[in-house]
Formats: sequence, structure tokens, C-alpha cells
Amino acid sequence: MVAFRRWRAARPFWGGLLLALGGAEILVTEKASLKVVMHIGMQGLAGYLLPTLMLILGLLILFNPAQRLFYSILGALLSLGTWVTSNLGGFFIGLVLGVVGSCLAFGWLPDQEPRRARSWRRRRPEPVPHP
Amino acid sequence: MASSSDATSSAGSTPEPSEVSESGSPSESPEGSERRGRVRLRRAAVMAVPATAVAAGLMILTAQGALGVQFAISGMPFTVTATNLDGEGFAQFGGLDQMAPGSPNEGDTGGQVLVVVSAIKKATLTKLCQSVDLGGTNLLIRAGEGKTPVSAVNLTTDSTELSGDAAFENIEIGNDASTLDKSHTQGPKGVFSQQADTVHIGNLRQTNYATTAAVFKLPGLKLSFSDKGC
Repeated sequence: MVAFRRWRAARPFWGGLLLALGGAEILVTEKASLKVVMHIGMQGLAGYLLPTLMLILGLLILFNPAQRLFYSILGALLSLGTWVTSNLGGFFIGLVLGVVGSCLAFGWLPDQEPRRARSWRRRRPEPVPHP
Repeated sequence: MASSSDATSSAGSTPEPSEVSESGSPSESPEGSERRGRVRLRRAAVMAVPATAVAAGLMILTAQGALGVQFAISGMPFTVTATNLDGEGFAQFGGLDQMAPGSPNEGDTGGQVLVVVSAIKKATLTKLCQSVDLGGTNLLIRAGEGKTPVSAVNLTTDSTELSGDAAFENIEIGNDASTLDKSHTQGPKGVFSQQADTVHIGNLRQTNYATTAAVFKLPGLKLSFSDKGC
């Protein structure tokens, strides 16, 4: 758990996760068979391309946080683009997840001062008294 | 950093250093003074404000019918109704839709749904209503209730049920589905099909499994949740 918390603290965890989830949600709402998509051409393909890229960018934010600015800007643009290409952005849910995730990743900064007065810190158990 | 915080904090409550090792809880040591990354609100707002503005703009443009949107839905059945559908370049044939393996919507169907594929090259629909059952509540999309009807290009629907009052012009019934030429798509070889130059359907009601890659213009778009479907 501690290792996970430390891993999480070093990257915009919620931003990347929400963006990836948004892309996944939009993909779930689509089920046009690939044959039809190829027949329609680029326009049909974009419906799959945008949410797939959202998913990939979300994962990239998690695993390569150094480039988060570029990823998050692209992620926000793609999320907005899915409104046109993919079921109104997965019926709006995926679009909101993607935009919120991108904004969180964009606003994230590493190495911040710790917050004061966090409840879990104050509730720390006292050390066992010496017998 | 974690080790130094452990030492200082435990030194505050228990002065003897031996107790630190005895309590044996380095894993419990909070990263109290560890510096971690965090979202700065003002920085996030730099992006959130324009993104929200663009999203609002897209929705307004769509609601005015200036911007077309694409649908490629399914996995779950949804209902489409319209008071009038006028189309050019109509084709219809049978098909089998395959769900994604292990899809939760499979039920006892074995993941396959027998569908009627209707393809219309150019269609206009008045008072379009589309509802998806999300279990308990329905997501409702309404459009085209004002003066301008909904228009769609290369509309392909896979339906399990289709009802309405239909009228066709220059209809050809009994073609092989692979020889269709009036619409934008063709079916598999050896499948019964029909096609027509124009089609008019009144009081249309469809239960669809997929609407594919159609560009919809939805003037007067309303997105809402409702207990009742269309």
C-alpha cells in the first residue's frame, strides 16, 4: 500500500485514470462492426480513433508523467472531439470524464508542500508503552 | 525522508531510541512530511475554463443543427421513434450481429442477435426520439421537434423490430444482398434483400442494436434522463 501511495504521489494519478476511463467508457458505447466502419471510411474510423487515443493518453500520463502537459492538452482536445465523432462523447459521460481528467493532469505539479491537518495523520496510533 | 520523519516524530513521544525498533512499525510511518505531487486549482482552471466553453459551444451548435454528430452505438438495445422518416437510397437485408465476447448483454442469445439491416443514404426525420435503457432509468435524446427536421447521412441501423407505415418508390424485392447498389452499403452473398429509390415511413418505431457511423444533425437537441422510454 505504501509503495502504491508513493507511486501515486509521483504522478497525476486521478487525472490519468479519469482520462483513460473516459476513453474506455466511450469505446464501450460503440459497437459498430469494423467492416461497416471501413466502408464508411475515415469519418467512421474517427469514432474509434479518438476514444482509443484518449485511453492511451490516460495511460501515458500515468506511466510517463514527465510529458503530462502535452498529453493533457491533447487529451482535452480529443475528449471534446468525441462529442462529434462518438455518440455525443459516450452520451456525455465519457466526455466529462476525459475533460476533467485532462484538467487535473494539466493542473498537477510534483513536489508540493504537504497539506496541514490531515485527519489520518493526527489519528496516528501512539507507540506501545514500555512494560 | 520517511526515515527521518519517523525518527523525529517518535522521538517526540518516546525519548528512548530503542523503542523505535521495538514498536517495529516502519510501514505505519506516515509520509507526513513527504512532498507529493498535487493538483493546483488555479493551474487546472487555465485549462478547465476554455474546455468548458468549447464543450458548451459544441452543444449549442449541435442543438441548432449546425454541427453534425456521429453515432456508432450499441451492445444494448435502444429504441428510436419518429413521426416521419423520408429517405433517399434505401436498402434492407438480414444479418447477424455478433456481440463482443463475454459481453454482459449476451443473456441466453449466445452473443448473437438476428437483425434487419436498414441502410438509408440520406434521411430526414421529424420528432426523433431515441432512448437507451440503462437499467432503472432511460437516457432520452430528443431532437427535430421544431421547424427543421433531423437529418442523417449514411444511416445504417441494425434493428430487431421495425414498425411503421411505409411507402416505397421503385422498389426491388428479392435481390441478392451483395448486389445492392441504391444505398451506401451491401450485405453478404446469398441473403434476401430489397432496395428502393426513396422511402417514406410514418410513425416509425425501431428497436435497434446498432446505429452505425451516421452523421446526424440534431436541431433542438435535448438530452435527459427519464423513467419512461420513447
